[in-house]
Amino acid sequence: MSVQIDDQDLLRAEDLATASLTLARRFAAGATMWCVAPEWPSHGRHVAVEFVHPVIVGKRALPAVHLEGDDLVGAVRSLARPGDVLLVVGGADHLHTSDLLRRAEAWGLTRFWLGTGRRPPPGLAEHVVWVEGTDPALAARSGEVVLLYHLLWELTHVVFEHPGLLRDEAACEGEVCITCSDQGQVGEVRAVRPDGRADVVVFGYLEGIDVSLVDPVVPGDLVLVHAGVALTTLDPDAASDHRVTS
Amino acid sequence: MTAEPTGFLYPFIESEERDASGLVADLASSARAKMAASRRLRATTLDANAEAAQRAGEAMAERFRFGGRLFTFGNGGSATDAEGTVDLFRKPPHGRALAAMSLVDDRAVLTALANDVGFELVFSRQIIAHARPGDIAMGFSTSGDSANLLKAFEEASKRQLLTVGLCGYEGGEMASGDLVEHCLVVRSDSVHRIQEAQDALALQLWTTVQQCLTEGSHP
Repeated sequence: MSVQIDDQDLLRAEDLATASLTLARRFAAGATMWCVAPEWPSHGRHVAVEFVHPVIVGKRALPAVHLEGDDLVGAVRSLARPGDVLLVVGGADHLHTSDLLRRAEAWGLTRFWLGTGRRPPPGLAEHVVWVEGTDPALAARSGEVVLLYHLLWELTHVVFEHPGLLRDEAACEGEVCITCSDQGQVGEVRAVRPDGRADVVVFGYLEGIDVSLVDPVVPGDLVLVHAGVALTTLDPDAASDHRVTS
Repeated sequence: MTAEPTGFLYPFIESEERDASGLVADLASSARAKMAASRRLRATTLDANAEAAQRAGEAMAERFRFGGRLFTFGNGGSATDAEGTVDLFRKPPHGRALAAMSLVDDRAVLTALANDVGFELVFSRQIIAHARPGDIAMGFSTSGDSANLLKAFEEASKRQLLTVGLCGYEGGEMASGDLVEHCLVVRSDSVHRIQEAQDALALQLWTTVQQCLTEGSHP
């Protein structure tokens, strides 16, 4: 085993640092972290117990829950609230993981993805921390994956020592305001009305959306929404980066 | 973000801290140092335990060859290591799938035993119920002192199981005396770094077992 720190490690360290800042801010704002690891449930359980029952006495217990089973989409959909966190530990090739992450955007969750193997395509999670180029099944048991979430936990608690930095930046700060820009947002159809409109969850909140421009939709479909109008339906297996600008 | 007009008067009050870039740089540097520490510890642990792990792996392979099964156990994060090790043995990425089960999986059994006879006995009672001579008992504990592991190893030895222990710090009770036949110690006092190195050790054991079984089948 190489004990040297390479370029990949430098990148991973930066990814962990920014991920920990976001995670601490989400917890400070009242988030629960929902953890799933379809290929390696033991890692999902480990990361949850790490946050709930800290190994260092005096560190605060944080709400983290591991979910498993055949219907992860249904479980997270019913339990998570807008502003919560979804943490996935797993490889990029698991189809259900991509679907869950895509829907989580509509549900208003901040998404973290820790894994190993082939790096996932961009756009499926706000924070991706990855161990690349290794045999995923072996890397998952070599100590490298558990190291990722141990560090995520350790750094998140460092951020808690800086209360002035725990406030989330307001949505309209910076160069682009998502609400006012021309970005389309992912929405999940909940109910279809007879008048060409549908109840669609966008950023975690139910909105009445005009679906007359798209092919007939059914509850569960994902659509790209802009200014109250569904512009297109999203194929669950489609490329992940579906933001469009007009 | 615009600083409050009087903010410049109190630049060192932490609650007034606004710019996260310094903190992010510190976090990244801390992450790099810990990654290096984790790798070093894993390397030195594999090195220091090379012979012991080889002997333990060979003994485990011998048990598997004659129909032995692996039972794993641990508490908290170590329970998940026990479970992950079972995944590795039973659903290996390559090589032979081996009979392995973790004694932390069944919540009905765990809560029944904890409620009725006490948490100290949750693993030993399952050893009594399931184990046969020729099986393997493998326990994970960072302290090496978990009471329910010590009880489980005691019961396992009594029943002629092969006993394999992974522990941290100085090894605790698990490493003292002959309670555990093959005890692999990660010399560290960080629970996290110990668990990472225990993962590497368990992977090494699995690798040795697979090698022995392959050699055994193609002499």
